Amino acid sequence: MPAETVRIAGGQGFYGDSPAAAIAIAKEKACDYIVNDALAELTMSILQKDKMKDPKLGYPRDIEFNATTLFPLAFKNGIKIVSNSGGLNPVNAAKRVAAIMNQQGITGVKIAAITGDDFLPKLKEVLESGNELSNMDTAQPFRENEYPPTHANVYIGSKSIKEALDEGADIILAGRVADPCLTLGVLAHHFGWDLEKDLDKMACGISVGHLLECGGQASGGNSYAEWPMDYPLSNLGYPIAEVSEDGSAVFSKLESQGGKMSRNTLREQLVYEIHDPANYLTPDVTVDLTAVNIEDLEPNKVSFSGAQGKARPEKLKMTIGLMEGFITEQFFFFSWPYAHLKAKKFIEAVEQIWAKLPIKIESSNHRIIGLNGIHEDAAPSPASDKLDDVNELGVRLAIKHVDPKAGKMAMQSIVCLGLNGPPGAISMPGWGKMNKALLSLWPTLVDREMVDEKVEIFTS
Amino acid sequence: MGKIKLIDIASARSGDKNDLCNIGVMANSSQDYETLVQHLTAEVVKDHFKGLIKGEVIRYEWGSIEALNFVCHAALDGGGSRSLRMDTLGKNFSSHLLRLELEV
Repeated sequence: MPAETVRIAGGQGFYGDSPAAAIAIAKEKACDYIVNDALAELTMSILQKDKMKDPKLGYPRDIEFNATTLFPLAFKNGIKIVSNSGGLNPVNAAKRVAAIMNQQGITGVKIAAITGDDFLPKLKEVLESGNELSNMDTAQPFRENEYPPTHANVYIGSKSIKEALDEGADIILAGRVADPCLTLGVLAHHFGWDLEKDLDKMACGISVGHLLECGGQASGGNSYAEWPMDYPLSNLGYPIAEVSEDGSAVFSKLESQGGKMSRNTLREQLVYEIHDPANYLTPDVTVDLTAVNIEDLEPNKVSFSGAQGKARPEKLKMTIGLMEGFITEQFFFFSWPYAHLKAKKFIEAVEQIWAKLPIKIESSNHRIIGLNGIHEDAAPSPASDKLDDVNELGVRLAIKHVDPKAGKMAMQSIVCLGLNGPPGAISMPGWGKMNKALLSLWPTLVDREMVDEKVEIFTS
Repeated sequence: MGKIKLIDIASARSGDKNDLCNIGVMANSSQDYETLVQHLTAEVVKDHFKGLIKGEVIRYEWGSIEALNFVCHAALDGGGSRSLRMDTLGKNFSSHLLRLELEV
């Protein structure tokens, strides 16, 4: 019989997140599993670029640091790591982690790589099988797309996570396993859930996974619900869910850490990136979240239950990244007096200079920071006397271009405005971004039978 | 007739999925939730985001957590990795919505 409850912590919300909270949890042995989510769409294109430079790469590089910090500590304390940090190269990621742990004299760690989600090498084969890979939003067939693909990954479910844990894996580095399915895989392994039939339990497992997948965003980070925050943010404690066999859970965080766990913080993570709450689609189950029950039990302890499951979607979602060109941006700042007029005059000069250059700018978006930088035309305008008297304003210039040389040329052509422009323009080389990848995402569907998931285990 | 500031009766969180942005609005109490259901319509939200949301806004009621969820289409200038905006992921759609004043 498995233990009556299992404790799962959300240790990482994105590639680049701090491992400090997960390390604190592992130190205090406050969980049995840590789930780390590393993959966002933009991350996939970054990893693809790494892989093109060096075929051994293509995984989130923070696993190399984790392999000397979090992973050894977790292994020593009997905590398993479940992640999609294999990125676009799970096998090499697993080999690399095994080697790093081996160098530290830590042997016998079973590291699982989960593959099968990467369809970039298979796109032609899929198209030849009769699937037109039509865009889910526009219905356009993929052959009409004019841009080169950067990556193509299918969102896969929890089956291989369960399988890897069944085989005794200590650390899992998967490819594009859908974020909440990392947690469902842990629960299906621990409680022996049937991933075809236990729909309500699976729905709860997915919900718990969803609440854990953004780390500190469920425990008081990025929170309006707990504003003004009466807790420290510098050492936010990440969420820990103690889950029962029926899928219900009690959420908490380490008392030794900052942040807060409340009905409010869980509510705001529950709504995050959800569309129809009655039909939250995942590879394993369709989840109805409309009747969930979230209750404050005591300070920093909150119960969750009541998600219901329905049949999973027939096909799996795949996202293809397409390289459309580049974005270049730059910042400038102006002070009182006439900050607003100076900013406007500056933008006018920039537009006149660029109109004469032999470059093609596909589109542009120039805004005044302090006025409409974030909310653009939806931002209300202050009264003109206030605007004339404002202390400081910034200008952000942003352009799209296909030719990488255009960004450099555009920015070089306006450097002269430091002396020729409105008085006192402040800028600094390196503030903006030059030639940031302009990537469009092509959402489409593939048959489940086309996906060939594989678990490989490497031992340090 | 009077005016209520949304920020006084609710909190919000927004996030992205390609060119689509969802804004979850959580009422501070059951009574505030009734006010939201009655007055915070999809049309009011779309109007408040003039110029930012180009497509349809769909509202979902979520009574068990006293929340409304707004799914905004064609809202992120083509999506996070294509957008020329500063807030490429629409994280501040929540902030802008909280500025709304409801006619009640």
